[in-house]
Amino acid sequence: MLFGTPIFILGFLPVALGGFFVAGQMGPRAALVWLVAAGCVFYGWSDPLLVPLLLASILGNWLIGSRAAALADAGRAPMARLWVGGGIVADLALLGWYKYAGFVAANVAALGGIDVAVAARALPLGISFFTFQQIMFLVDCGRSGAARCGLLSYAGFVGFFPHLIAGPLVQPGEIIPQLSHPRTFRGDADNLTAGLTVFLLGLAKKLVLADTFAAFADPGFNAAARGATLTFFEAWCATLAYSLQIYFDFSGYSDMAIGLARMFNIRFPQNFDSPYRAPNISAFWQRWHISLGRFLRAHVYIPLGGNRRGIWRQARNILATMLLGGLWHGAGWTFVLWGALHGMAMVAHQSFRRLAPAAPERLRPVARCGGRALTLLFVIAAWVPFRADGMAAAARVWHGMLGLDGIALPDALLAIAPPLARIADPVPVLRYLGDARTLSFPEVCSCLALGWLIVLAAPNVHQLSAARRRVALAASFAFTVQALFFAPSVQPFLYFQF
Amino acid sequence: MPALLAACAVSMAVYGAVFGLLVGRPLAHGPLARQIDAKLALGAAAPSPKLVILAGSNGPYSHRCEVLEAMLSLPCINAGIAVGIGLDYLFARWRPFLRPGDVVYLPMETAQYIRSRSATRVGPDAAIMLRHDRATLVALPPDRWAGALFAVDARAAIMALLETLFTALGVAPANADATTNRWGDHVGHGRSDAAGSPAFAIGGGSGEPTAADIRAGYGTSLIVAFVTWARARGVAVIGGVPAALDAVPLPADSIAAIRATYEQLGGRFLELPGAARYPRAAFYDSPDHLIEACQIAHSIRVASALGPLLARAVAAPPAWTASFGCAAIPL
Repeated sequence: MLFGTPIFILGFLPVALGGFFVAGQMGPRAALVWLVAAGCVFYGWSDPLLVPLLLASILGNWLIGSRAAALADAGRAPMARLWVGGGIVADLALLGWYKYAGFVAANVAALGGIDVAVAARALPLGISFFTFQQIMFLVDCGRSGAARCGLLSYAGFVGFFPHLIAGPLVQPGEIIPQLSHPRTFRGDADNLTAGLTVFLLGLAKKLVLADTFAAFADPGFNAAARGATLTFFEAWCATLAYSLQIYFDFSGYSDMAIGLARMFNIRFPQNFDSPYRAPNISAFWQRWHISLGRFLRAHVYIPLGGNRRGIWRQARNILATMLLGGLWHGAGWTFVLWGALHGMAMVAHQSFRRLAPAAPERLRPVARCGGRALTLLFVIAAWVPFRADGMAAAARVWHGMLGLDGIALPDALLAIAPPLARIADPVPVLRYLGDARTLSFPEVCSCLALGWLIVLAAPNVHQLSAARRRVALAASFAFTVQALFFAPSVQPFLYFQF
Repeated sequence: MPALLAACAVSMAVYGAVFGLLVGRPLAHGPLARQIDAKLALGAAAPSPKLVILAGSNGPYSHRCEVLEAMLSLPCINAGIAVGIGLDYLFARWRPFLRPGDVVYLPMETAQYIRSRSATRVGPDAAIMLRHDRATLVALPPDRWAGALFAVDARAAIMALLETLFTALGVAPANADATTNRWGDHVGHGRSDAAGSPAFAIGGGSGEPTAADIRAGYGTSLIVAFVTWARARGVAVIGGVPAALDAVPLPADSIAAIRATYEQLGGRFLELPGAARYPRAAFYDSPDHLIEACQIAHSIRVASALGPLLARAVAAPPAWTASFGCAAIPL
């Protein structure tokens, strides 16, 4: 089930929420049973056959985690670590089987000529998220003295529908205690209002902004996938639009999840913090998909040694972490390249910090602005392989962004601004820009300007006061209603495919 | 919670006031509304019996009423506008001008049959009706009222503001009168004007709908309702196929489904040789638009086939058509 659909908003959510607080009157256990049942309905809405997989994964991880916890508490740490390791291997094997088997088989076939038959299978919704979520639990269980929980609380934590299929990745220690607090099960008008406000603003980000920019990004990237060349403005508009689409899509989803959880009196951590305003690439990763960054740092980078064994080891660890981060997003070389680019940028930034002298005080504002601009430019350019359908398509978009396939502008624009004809060739319409109409160029440019203004200059949802959130809601709510009930089609959330 | 609800209410009120009363799309919708009105005026002035071509832009670009009128000795109005204009709206506007004995020819683009209800209710005609033609809107079903009230999405809102600004700065909308003759045909679209169209750049666009898609299509249901209405009033409805690219064949069962749309309720269907599929060289800027020479050649074919169906003598094509040569459509 999708958050941005009428069936969820008008049907599922009121029933799930109302049922939770009614069941809460009967006691926490009843409320948790209701919550798990709601999670199963939510998860199995499009394919009920996936529910047993989810429940089996929850049960298996809880059994292994409980065993490991008992061993850890009994002072048998090596044995506890063995159980935890076994559980993680099993989780990753399940994830690998569904997500990466085809990719591995295709590459083995390409490299070694060995044809490994792997049946095509649909990726279970959210498997990357609930797998990582449960790995966090297992790691916690392997530590002596960590908080323990019963199966029902654990199932409520993993199966809590706001974060079940696309995060944020929340620490068990942050959520499970909340699920056992008596106040959680009583309706709270303040939380309901605050949660609903954040949910509606997240919904607006997704339906009003992200889907608008998708319509500008898709023509360019789809054309590149078909082998077409893009002119300078077509390539840049598509890439700038995708950069906005993915930000509004995923941060919108995260806001919806945070708002929904708040309606159930559960606090989720913030997942985005105006990442495109980051002063450097390391800061970007502290602001973009914060919960994944936290996971990768705690469960990959630090265990690999972090920054403890010299700069070369640190560089290796950063690269390995970012490559894995890239691969987590999808089984494809374009995702590996995206991860590698970010890894190299982070290594370059770490080296720069070590080697370059600090800027003089009077130049610091300039240095900060330069850092922001460079980071933003890099992040935008790196989205190209992330979005492109293959390496060749990515190369075509980059080619276009460099102006190597020409610079063209609509002849109507050149008639109004003749000096532009010195740099651009006149064409009736830009083929791969929006709807390829006469007015597409001003349309796309205006929408991009508005989108980047919001992203770079406006405070994010979590920085807004309650009063300003209401102003934002007043500006967006009618468009959200329009998109929810009257848009001919709805774009799926981008992160569902991961 | 009251403050939250108040913010939502303010949002709805401002949206309704701004896009329902204050800001329109003078550059995008203005020319469409004027074209519709101009063609209706032709229909009102033409004596009955008359031939009216209703379709999307394939109507004016690929059909020449000027030729059909001369060959069939029947007043002809080319009333096609664009695929985005809702069929229910188009039919509602034309019903008052159709008399017993009139003939309506519908060489509808296949996309018209499968256009969804949700796409139809927020098409450009929704905004046109809300701003300029509320009488027609009120006559349509209630979901069209809601669609008209909520036809403006974020993109359209920005374009509405931009177009209002451009208009204030003196930018004039495209003048369709210069390229439309007195029959409503588009004229002057020769090869030299052919623009790079994404549909052509990718090799012909997507495939044609299946028979099941056509039978289940919302557009099909609107056409069926129109055929029923027309039959009851003595107006002859003849379905047809649009001129389209031969690189994208229309399956035989899809043609049969289109035929059945008309024939099941007493309409007729005009089948053209090769289902009016022509090579790329015949087309102008999209797979729905023939170049002018081929528009004329195709119209001669249509007139030759329509004559027997209407039991009318078919005269030779007007002499002026000889100066146009379309190698892609041999006659």
